[in-house]
Amino acid sequence: MRQFFATLLLALAAGSAAADAPPRFGLSGFGTLGVVRSDKDDYHFRSSGTQSARGPGQNFDPSVDSVLGLQGTGHLHDQLDFTVQAISRQAVGYNYSPHITWAYLRYRATPALTVRVGRTTTPFFMFSDSLNVNFATPWVRPPPEVYNLNPFSDLDGIDLLYRIPVGEMDLEIQGFFGNSAVSARSASARLKNAKGINFGLVGSGFSAHAGYARTRLELQWDANFSQALTRLLNAVDENAELSGTKGTTEFFSAGFQWERNNWLIIAEFAKRRVDRYINSAHAWYVTTGYHFNNLTPYATYSQQIQDSPASGAKLKPTLMPLLDPRNNAQQGVALGVRWDIARNIALKSQIERIDAAPGSRGMFPSDVAADYLKPASPVHVFSMSVDFVF
Amino acid sequence: MLLRLLTAFALLSPLASQAELVIVSSPRSGPIELSREQAEKLYLGRTTTLADGTPVKLVDLPSGATRDEFYLKLTNKNPSQILAYRSRLVFTGRAYPPLEAESVTEARQWLADTPNLIGYLERADVSGNLRILLRLP
Repeated sequence: MRQFFATLLLALAAGSAAADAPPRFGLSGFGTLGVVRSDKDDYHFRSSGTQSARGPGQNFDPSVDSVLGLQGTGHLHDQLDFTVQAISRQAVGYNYSPHITWAYLRYRATPALTVRVGRTTTPFFMFSDSLNVNFATPWVRPPPEVYNLNPFSDLDGIDLLYRIPVGEMDLEIQGFFGNSAVSARSASARLKNAKGINFGLVGSGFSAHAGYARTRLELQWDANFSQALTRLLNAVDENAELSGTKGTTEFFSAGFQWERNNWLIIAEFAKRRVDRYINSAHAWYVTTGYHFNNLTPYATYSQQIQDSPASGAKLKPTLMPLLDPRNNAQQGVALGVRWDIARNIALKSQIERIDAAPGSRGMFPSDVAADYLKPASPVHVFSMSVDFVF
Repeated sequence: MLLRLLTAFALLSPLASQAELVIVSSPRSGPIELSREQAEKLYLGRTTTLADGTPVKLVDLPSGATRDEFYLKLTNKNPSQILAYRSRLVFTGRAYPPLEAESVTEARQWLADTPNLIGYLERADVSGNLRILLRLP
């Protein structure tokens, strides 16, 4: 993989030096340097299940938001081009070593129809395609109550994009098919034969998104605590289905962005329904902000609600609390500000208050079983970051 | 305190000049009809063609007051909003940014020489070998 990169970079460098306008190849990048801390040592803030927890929660932790990305693009033909993007960030599966986030060939069959083959991004959410590009959004990070509902981000497969004008707006219909894999804190999981459809409506100062996906789910718990819990529950009830290859999951999300007269409103709803291994839940957020020239203060309310515990588990009611570690339900209120200090650099700061739902520890993982029995209390999380593009 | 800070930042932002801006192309292009809406779609990466389906490429002026004023007039977005918006398109491989000229002279040269290339200039910088497609007063 490393060799592939070196070759690619050389090819890109050679291409851009030789090219006259318009250039055939381009190289660009983006990144975030950010720190997060909570006000309680035993509460580590983690925005995704793919991040591991270490050290006291009150330490300034750079591993949650910091990321560096490089992207190369090239025209091969009038209608054919490619995009390759790699990122470095902390995650259980690739711990800062380069990870390919995009690597696809794009064929523009007609002005309306585009086909992409290779690795793209699972379009489960409104901001799925730019999860690592924090410079593109007003927040320090997309609200985790919604965005942790689905940790899968790579899609290896094919998608079709079809664009239709609707009055002054454009409707883009996307159909996709592929596979995905992710290593999370306590499990590794795969999506097999993921298929779905997305609708994106884009107008001047307005865009809306709605998507539905259905996929097979395979899941193996691998962290000590989760494995021990699974063994325990299987001993109590051997029919309890807590991991395996027979899951089916559906995912739905819808949202919109609206920007006018310096006001900004973003809202999104997402729901996952899983027939076994993990719980079913839904979540939503609303953000409002205002552009004062280079300053954009914003406020977000967000909430994740569990619909049902892992339904394949079929445990006796008295044992159901043992599934609590798999419930991330919480609500949060965040106040933050984006300050564009230079054309391509933004400084962001955010303070939020998070309340875990009853029977949940929210999104603050722990490897200590007893931590899940402690009474919940509000946790405050402070984040600061610098986002840049180049 | 906060209000005073906000006022300070408001005053730091560059005041827009009042020059008339125009969108131009080479007379070597076929007949081009460009509405304001289509121009906005092109510069926001929502399309790469004219209304009749003709593919076009775009030119940006170097960073500076004329470019900022152009985007503000056409899209109502300030420089950082434009870059934030565009980085989402670029870092998904969906759209390419316009070709960035190093100077007004270079932009004018590209625009005069290349069919189906579209760009913007101050009205006073437009030479005789360019065709004006749209005025942004």
